[in-house]
Amino acid sequence: MILLIVLCCIMVLIGGIYAGYARDPYTKLIALGVIGGGVMPLIIARGYVDIAVALAIIIPLSTIFVLQLCKKGVA
Amino acid sequence: MSEFSLFHVLEELSGPFSSPLITPPAESAELATLLCGVIALYSVIRIIFEPDVMRKLPFLNVFSFSISGIIALMIPHPLGVIAAAAYFIGSTFESNAIASTWAGGVEE
Repeated sequence: MILLIVLCCIMVLIGGIYAGYARDPYTKLIALGVIGGGVMPLIIARGYVDIAVALAIIIPLSTIFVLQLCKKGVA
Repeated sequence: MSEFSLFHVLEELSGPFSSPLITPPAESAELATLLCGVIALYSVIRIIFEPDVMRKLPFLNVFSFSISGIIALMIPHPLGVIAAAAYFIGSTFESNAIASTWAGGVEE
């Protein structure tokens, strides 16, 4: 079942490269969400389920904090 | 013969289901998990090649749903279901917040 882990690594890599090349701030936030989602099965796969529960709360909260910076029309 | 040796090498490597703590519930759960991974990869590719920001957000939702499906299918433990539910709620909240801010929010 290592194929699933390789798939998740490919998703995280694609999200990271896309976050580097994206110019729009909203697109960058979407790529950040892709990174946060793709990293979650890698944490689950080692058995750290409690850390995954904590990260599932922290990652969307941090996205919402960054979202305060890019109001429409300002950025 | 080489294919057999390749699978032997893959069995020797450490994976999610090779840990003694984590065992898959059934063979069908492995297949469903892999299918969720393929759906997630497809939605990531759609996110990249979609030109409009508003059209990226439904595929971000699809990605989050498939990731929470992977989490729920990967661990046969009640805490895994709690983690999947937390990620489901959080990621839906996140993408809806991005969509709401992009659309302009509440007009005063």
